[in-house]
Amino acid sequence: MVPIRYNIRSLLVRKVTTFATAFGIALVVFVFAAAMMLGEGVNRALATSGRVDTAIVLRKGSDAELSSTLNGEQLNILRGNSAVASTAPEGGVIGEVVLVITQEVDDGSGTISNVLVRGMPAGGMKFRPEAVIVSGRAPTPGTNEVVVGRGIAGRFKGIVVGGSFDVRRNRPLTVVGVFATGGSSYESEVWGDLDAIRAAVGRQATVSSARVRLTGASAFDSYRAAIEADKRLNLKVMREDEYYKKASEQTSGFLAGMGFVIAVLFSFAAMIGAAITMNGAVANRTREIGTLRALGFSRLAILTSFVIEAIFLGIIGGAVGVVFVQVLALVSFPVMNFQTFSEIVISFKATPGIVAGALLFSIVMGLIGGLFPAIRAARVSPVEAMRS
Amino acid sequence: MNLATYARRNLFRRRGRTILTVLAVAVAVLIFSAIRTVGVTFNAAADDAMSDRLATRHKVSITMQLPRRYIDEVRAIPGVTGATAANWFGAKDPKERIPFFAGFAADDKWFDVFDDMKVDPAQLAEWKTTPSGVILGDILAKTFGVKPGDRLTITSDIYPGDWEFKVVGIYMPQRRTVDRNSLILHWEYLNNDPRAELTKDQIGWVMTRIGGGVKSADMSRTIDKIFDERDDQTVTMSERAFNLSFIGAFAAVLTAFDLVSIVILLIMMLILANTIAMSVRERTNEYGVLRAIGFPPRHIVGFILAESLLVAFVGGLVGIGLVQVLINMGIGPFIEANMASMFPYFRTPPSVMLTALGLALALGLLAGVLPARGASRLRVTDALRRTD
Repeated sequence: MVPIRYNIRSLLVRKVTTFATAFGIALVVFVFAAAMMLGEGVNRALATSGRVDTAIVLRKGSDAELSSTLNGEQLNILRGNSAVASTAPEGGVIGEVVLVITQEVDDGSGTISNVLVRGMPAGGMKFRPEAVIVSGRAPTPGTNEVVVGRGIAGRFKGIVVGGSFDVRRNRPLTVVGVFATGGSSYESEVWGDLDAIRAAVGRQATVSSARVRLTGASAFDSYRAAIEADKRLNLKVMREDEYYKKASEQTSGFLAGMGFVIAVLFSFAAMIGAAITMNGAVANRTREIGTLRALGFSRLAILTSFVIEAIFLGIIGGAVGVVFVQVLALVSFPVMNFQTFSEIVISFKATPGIVAGALLFSIVMGLIGGLFPAIRAARVSPVEAMRS
Repeated sequence: MNLATYARRNLFRRRGRTILTVLAVAVAVLIFSAIRTVGVTFNAAADDAMSDRLATRHKVSITMQLPRRYIDEVRAIPGVTGATAANWFGAKDPKERIPFFAGFAADDKWFDVFDDMKVDPAQLAEWKTTPSGVILGDILAKTFGVKPGDRLTITSDIYPGDWEFKVVGIYMPQRRTVDRNSLILHWEYLNNDPRAELTKDQIGWVMTRIGGGVKSADMSRTIDKIFDERDDQTVTMSERAFNLSFIGAFAAVLTAFDLVSIVILLIMMLILANTIAMSVRERTNEYGVLRAIGFPPRHIVGFILAESLLVAFVGGLVGIGLVQVLINMGIGPFIEANMASMFPYFRTPPSVMLTALGLALALGLLAGVLPARGASRLRVTDALRRTD
């Protein structure tokens, strides 16, 4: 086999060419990894919103909290089951009202977008132990005070501590604090008092959805069977983590799918670039190849050598792309949650799987781009090459 | 022999490389155009909206409803030539043949305000007298496999149970961006159903048509002023702004698309620069000879830039040809037929193709600058001594 050092030195000698080609591959890898990281960010945000020991209850026929309605009587029946963890906040069952309001993005562009507002009973925040106030204070129950998620704080007009916004005429909601939930999609919501928000939207006795804390994850199946069998209720029970998983699949599938298609299209250009470079390398080194062949290296050894060189070219590009894409971890990006038609703010998340996938992608680009030039190199006739 | 001839002859010295480079430019132009087409056509539906139509909705949220009497007050305003009210129905196909289509309950005046959704007068008259009658877009009717006279069962995300309708008509789009996947049922029919108790005597939004000579901004203010002192305030906007408010959260994705489309052009420039740099390196000797026999350095620069521009131009033309064949005659019609709810119209406009060609030329020039400078600055003796 031709020593690998030969390939590395060859790449280093032609610095400009190696750089231009590898950088092209790096850009493709960047786009690929960025799309995957965004998809992962969506999954992460929505996956951490749901718990296995919690059920979400909606009206049968609705797929989302937004279009669902439950009344007080139904909530009472939901409470009366031995699978409910009655020692949890609010006796283990919270009914919440959810609405989407239009707010202007506070960047001077005049863009409007949708924000999800959640009205919850007094124990609603304690029901989600991961929720903590990171600045300001918690709202006083029974008032028009609200807290906003870390993801959207400052992004919209009025959605900052000390700010206020109208839900109904002369009924402003006042922002008194910012909360965090460990990166989940709740951080893109506004949380306030159930009765205050219900009054503001003129929805007196009903809620949108209910969340039920169960005695354990294993209690779910029997609880679901009991509730869904009750014909008076006409309700649908889902595991909370599965509800969010379903929501994230649509959104992250859309983003990652789009990104993947774009990256594959880009890779065609990058592979042509690699082919041009490797073709040039073979043409310039015809005499060297002839010499190697005359020294006794087989056609297979020459082929392998050039393929390895092309793969190196790919890996250099892949490594550069993977390093640069880490910068995106500092950026957050607003994404449309198809289930609520409101915005969730997502941060890019890299995983070892994404890094490995991106490097593999760069190797494949180098391999495909370098294959035909390598075959050409292997077919060089030693006699003619040395004479040229 | 002039500059262009020299540039052209030089190109064919390395035929394989030139063909690959032209191909790379063409692929880049194709991908750039494809990505831009997504953005342009996505906004087209909004941009193509009628300027004499205004939308009025609840000031706080599109999910909140207005009292029914608002429509009569809007109709009474001088300058309003027609107005119609509608409720979102949240229609779903029980057999899940299509993931999403627009279904809404509208009053009798809908097709007067939306005269770009053309219905046969006899079918329209039948719709007005048939309580359970629905009118469908031509593509939606084809997907469901129904024709006038057929029964159609639909479910709703908002209103429980099965809804039985009678198909009485098909509307045909009179403009290319009209959604051909909508289902329109009677507002009265929905309102009289006990399942619609929550939205009884309420309307989701109002579409208003204004007469010539009336400024839409003035009319918007007039409408909103009427309801300003009521509990449910309104916000009135152009049809374009209304359409855009649904895709507001997509704006960030579209911006990302625009950024990504520039990346492919950068990759193209790297490939082009690499090709030119390789050619220049191989010909350093010749440039030395040219300089030695009296050609000034600016001629060397001219040769190299002309070559770079020629490759970019030919590649750009091939790319535009690919856009015509693959997008405008290939996937464009396919997307229009299968994803009509997102892209009722999917063609690359000439403006995008010209932009792509212009950018390819500009970047081609840029790609030639560095190698050209290097070559023109070489001393004659150094250039002649170079053998690589």
